[in-house]
Amino acid sequence: MTNTMDYQKLGLLRQSPTSGWLWSSLQQDLYLQASGQRGDMVSHGASTSSPPAPQKLCPLAFKPPDPQDFTEHMQNFFMDHCQDAFGSMSEILNEDLIFKQGTKKISHIDSVYMRKMESLIKKGKLKKRPLSFPSKVLNAYGSMLSDVLPAVPPALLGSLLFEELKEQRERMLFSEAATGGALAFVPFSQRSSDSQSGCLLYPGNQGLDCLNFQRVELQQHRGTPPCLNTSSSDLLSFQLKAPIRQISTASLIDNCCVAVRSDHLVESGEIATCVSVSPHVLGEVLVASESGAVDLWTVGKGMQRVREEEENLYFNAKSSWRWCEFSAHPRVMVYADRTGVELTDIRMSPVSNHTLFRISNTPECRSGERLILSRYLADIHPFHHLITTQHSAYIMDERFPCVPMLKWDHMMQSPPMFCHTFPGSASSRTAKVLLGSHSSQEITLLQYSGAPQTQRQPETPSCPTPSPPGAGHQQTVLTADGGGGYFLPDPGHEQSHTPPPALEKNIISEINPAQQPPQSLRLISETSSDEDIIGPTQTQSFVAETQEEERPEMDIYASSNESWSQRKSHYMKNLQLQVIVNDNDNEDQVSGLDSGLNDETVSGLDTGLNDETVSEEKADIPEEPSSVEEKTSSSQKLSDGVLVTWKQWLQKVMQKSHKNKPRPQRRQPFKITTEELIYLSSDDEARKEDSAEKELVENVRRDLRACMTNRSLLVHSAVSASLGDQEVVEVPNAVNTDGWGDPMSERLTVSWQGEGAWKACFGSSLSYQSDLSDFSDLSGWSSSASLGAWSDSEGGLSQAEGSVGSGIPGAATPSSSQTDTVVPTLEPGNQTPTSQRGNQTPIRNQTTTPQRGNQTPTSQQGNQTPTSQRGNQTPTSQRGNQTPSRTNAPPNTPKPLDSTPAIVRRSKPQEDYLSALFAPQDDPSLHGGYFLEEESPVLHAPPPVASSSSQSASLRSVRSGFSQSLTPSQSSQGRPGLSQAPLAKKKKPRMGF
Amino acid sequence: MDDLDRELLAVKDLEDDNDSFDDNSSKASTKSKLPLVNLDMHAEPPRETGFHRSTRVCLEHIRDALLHHRWQEAAEYMACYPQMLEDTTNGPAQSYKELTWRISAEILHHHPKSKLEDYNNIYERMKHSGVRHYLMICLEHSFHLLLNGHIEEAKRQLSVSESWRYGKESAAQFQRAKLIQAYRSLLDYIIWCDKKFTHSSTEHSDFADNQDIRNYFRTASVNLKEILKNPGVWDPFILSYVEMLEFYEDQEEALKVLNDYAYDNSFPPNPNAHVYLYQYLKRCDTAEKKLMKVLHVLVPSHELMLEYSSFLLQSEKSSDLQKALGVVLEMLDFACWRSNLDVWKRLEAIIQKLQLEKDWKDVVFTKMADRQGWWPALHFTNFHASKDSEENPELMQVKAPLTKTLCPDLTLKYTDWQAINGK
Repeated sequence: MTNTMDYQKLGLLRQSPTSGWLWSSLQQDLYLQASGQRGDMVSHGASTSSPPAPQKLCPLAFKPPDPQDFTEHMQNFFMDHCQDAFGSMSEILNEDLIFKQGTKKISHIDSVYMRKMESLIKKGKLKKRPLSFPSKVLNAYGSMLSDVLPAVPPALLGSLLFEELKEQRERMLFSEAATGGALAFVPFSQRSSDSQSGCLLYPGNQGLDCLNFQRVELQQHRGTPPCLNTSSSDLLSFQLKAPIRQISTASLIDNCCVAVRSDHLVESGEIATCVSVSPHVLGEVLVASESGAVDLWTVGKGMQRVREEEENLYFNAKSSWRWCEFSAHPRVMVYADRTGVELTDIRMSPVSNHTLFRISNTPECRSGERLILSRYLADIHPFHHLITTQHSAYIMDERFPCVPMLKWDHMMQSPPMFCHTFPGSASSRTAKVLLGSHSSQEITLLQYSGAPQTQRQPETPSCPTPSPPGAGHQQTVLTADGGGGYFLPDPGHEQSHTPPPALEKNIISEINPAQQPPQSLRLISETSSDEDIIGPTQTQSFVAETQEEERPEMDIYASSNESWSQRKSHYMKNLQLQVIVNDNDNEDQVSGLDSGLNDETVSGLDTGLNDETVSEEKADIPEEPSSVEEKTSSSQKLSDGVLVTWKQWLQKVMQKSHKNKPRPQRRQPFKITTEELIYLSSDDEARKEDSAEKELVENVRRDLRACMTNRSLLVHSAVSASLGDQEVVEVPNAVNTDGWGDPMSERLTVSWQGEGAWKACFGSSLSYQSDLSDFSDLSGWSSSASLGAWSDSEGGLSQAEGSVGSGIPGAATPSSSQTDTVVPTLEPGNQTPTSQRGNQTPIRNQTTTPQRGNQTPTSQQGNQTPTSQRGNQTPTSQRGNQTPSRTNAPPNTPKPLDSTPAIVRRSKPQEDYLSALFAPQDDPSLHGGYFLEEESPVLHAPPPVASSSSQSASLRSVRSGFSQSLTPSQSSQGRPGLSQAPLAKKKKPRMGF
Repeated sequence: MDDLDRELLAVKDLEDDNDSFDDNSSKASTKSKLPLVNLDMHAEPPRETGFHRSTRVCLEHIRDALLHHRWQEAAEYMACYPQMLEDTTNGPAQSYKELTWRISAEILHHHPKSKLEDYNNIYERMKHSGVRHYLMICLEHSFHLLLNGHIEEAKRQLSVSESWRYGKESAAQFQRAKLIQAYRSLLDYIIWCDKKFTHSSTEHSDFADNQDIRNYFRTASVNLKEILKNPGVWDPFILSYVEMLEFYEDQEEALKVLNDYAYDNSFPPNPNAHVYLYQYLKRCDTAEKKLMKVLHVLVPSHELMLEYSSFLLQSEKSSDLQKALGVVLEMLDFACWRSNLDVWKRLEAIIQKLQLEKDWKDVVFTKMADRQGWWPALHFTNFHASKDSEENPELMQVKAPLTKTLCPDLTLKYTDWQAINGK
């Protein structure tokens, strides 16, 4: 990995599967060095053809690269990657040189030289004096061409390589960015005594930029060593934009917070050196950076500067490494650098600091000893801290500062920078501290007793000196052979009886301060508004957790009933939101939040849809009292991908509509319950498929594709062959808009006449200016089909606008002047809501149209009968149709829609349904930057460049949804306020086919 | 014996090094160069004799055997390894001595057939192989004897090492000598306790006058008194000293020792010192006011703060009541007290008493002002509600009504939860 990046940095190497530098990354060793060590270059060339197995890293014998070897690296590079090294220049010189042996690729210079070169190579002289040649002619050519021939001037290449090797050497000897470790295990509840399951978090990929969640189970059978079973579940991984340096977790009652650190902080470009999740308060994270600043990040409330220290604490250690941890008091932080540890009380301002540990004050401190890691041992003892140096490990009691309770010589060769702890249990009194080093892969298990299980009696440190060996403290050194970079701490047999956590722990939020879309979102995160930084979901959820807004009750027990697959669905969602929503509470809050964020204009439908999303996710929870059958059936149909896409889309819409508007008074959130909305999707009649129908679907699809490739219109005749006989759809009656006298309806009516008319109408009213700007914004981006940045939901949205014809999403009210066949009966249906009627309509149309776009073969039935087409316009039916389509799509990569069918629609409204219905699911042009842009309200931001994304300081906005599940009471009572329920009920007969 | 001088010099170097931190990283870059343990420790030195190679290989084998818990094999290799100590060509032999000492002890700790004589052998041999570790090895030896119940023997060991002197006394040597002295006195105390116990079970009358036993007290107390003047953490020693003083009814000296221990600023801040003083004063039936004064400076998370709050609660002054509120609230900040029923009950009692006053709302508000931001999340989420209702319903009954008092402006999920699920 390292070399890969390095060479990419130098712009030298193309990636090719045969080149050796890929595999060599496993050894954290430069390929070139490895080949150089082999000596003979010719034989080396042969050896690379078969990828050699990674060398076993022996803890005793690993060797950091020597920067002085850069000439060898250069030489190997020239030899093994001559195309890269000389390719461009030789192309140019090609014409001027005489080729007598045209077959050899390498011979861009003439054959005489080739032979000479070969003989030179065999003599191995090139190695020692690369720039002097024995032959005069060669020398002349050499001096003439040596500057110009290589693609990169040798001097530059050499200095860069030297620098790189030096850096690598340092990194290999001690990589301080990795401090803390990026491996975490979150146990679930423990049911049986001899198996322990939990979630393992670790970075994946070569670049370590993929966050993996894997369910693992520790199985202990008598007589066999404990083994880790990972087969029970599949891996959930999230692609991040920079390597993961540290994963910090903290479990609170039945939640677990996870924070991930990459290299950079957002606003300052500072390198983050530490991230630490609070074990006290959900959603509090400490972030330390190289500037010496520590921020308390209360998710949902933003950053609060806790401490800033330009110098090192006690003496000038010339180190900008900083560390921070929580302590027993939620408002007292541990601040550490290489010279010592201080306790910082942030309740006062200025903060008061007390020394906890000072490197030169410890007994038998050695020359050059530095602090490597500080860790709050919350699960062992509420007041204990572990501090490690190169030579020793200390246990400190924060009530008893400056005097170590315990000191070990850990005897490790490399400084211990990883630590996992196991609290003592009933069967084993000793608490265990597992230390691991970065490069030499040593692990050391230290045990100590005296951390009482009953926390009533504070432990009193008793001995002023290092505790003598053999006096009750054991030390076991385990060394791992080379191989994997990390080791799962083996709890051993003593741990098998660890008391189970009280409740199941769930991953509720993934907080990634260093991850952010590079351009647009960064701008936003610099603004003061928290909502913008964090995104609505998480803002509200945390607010809810901490400030306890008015909000309906949550059912927290639902989470324990969740199946893994369901949890997975939450993960998936989070993948795209960069939030892990894994709790039922989350769901509730997410939905509550969503509805809360809605402006009045949009609230009705969004709320409904959102709730529905949530409830469908929850659908198979047996505790939901009503309409069980529908829910179970719907749960079968809705795939994770649907939910993800759906929710994402909705959130986008709401974020959009929420922008620039004050947060409205939150209305009753759960106006719409699940059953009506998902009724149709769960309707068996609607879903009945037989093979013939499938075939039909395929045919229609094929026709559609053909139409698209020909750029012809998808007319009825084009598909009628495959569809077979169909009833001719009657064009519905024109809508009589006279009866709708309220301003909104009027505007909507006008809007059907085109954008100009609509704007004129709106422009007259100042109160709608902001809305207008929003909408025009929407129309602006949606009109461009090449906007790759938006997810399919936006794609759908844009299509919706296109299909509506006016370019304004809100203008769905059919007017007589249009040939559009928005079913007239639908409109009254939509407007049945008495209160928000006018406002609600546009959004409803927004939401429905894209769903039309998502429709898939299953809904083809609907097309066979005219009535069902009308039915397709009702939200319910579309939902039903949408389901299978999303199931077909890969769950992780929701695909944007092609907007072509929408254009067709304008002229041929009748076929529009079909076109939308059979719209191809995939348009590659829309894919780029999907993840990057999805959260970004800045619409035309350029797609991020990979290099900038890895280096840009970015603060990933946290969208940890603390959503909550629908409690039974809500699902039953929340409905009446909004009109969707009656609306949906009306639709039912339509959809009955 | 110039070898020894070199060792002592090395010790001195080591100690002096502590102050010279700044000049070990000369690079001006932001990344510090962390001085690392020598990675090439096991690498082949450039010029190596056959002897050195075999000992190096031997060490590797020992290490391997140790790591795989093959104690017998390690012991066999170890039998050969001390040859290294006799090698004079090797420069700093110090590390090998420590290595031999530690590895030998480790093997003996684990070897199934290790006997006390083996320990004695090894320790004696190692003690006399060099001066630098003499005191530490003596201490370890006596600990081992103690663990096996040989108190007298251990005491003899300590006495011997107490009288050991070599050359100019270094700071580390001085500290270790003090430590050995202290442990020797502790053993005196233990013997004193034993005698007291056997004596009291047979005769009841004149134990205090028994000269033999009194001698133990005298030797122990003289030493301890001296040692306790040195700043440090002397918890077990001071307890035994105070116990002996109390037995001989020297209350003044006991109080003075404890007071010095608690309030002398040259000592590291030691919460235990205050606890000992408090316990002693309580045994002597000291007035509440004095007790409160001791508790006042104790760490806020200590369990005695509960007692402190009860004193404050009983007090007549209204300022004390506010103080009690502050004390209990602060206790509840800490992780270890958050679900403690007693503390919550105390808080309830304080609030009840406080509510008799007019301005109680202001008082609570000021105390809660800087906690408003995080207390709800710390105590009153629905997670806490479900946990409390499951594990400690009584706690929930106490907590729930308090939420309204403490956070009047917020609607807390804790109570909502209780309202819905609690009943």
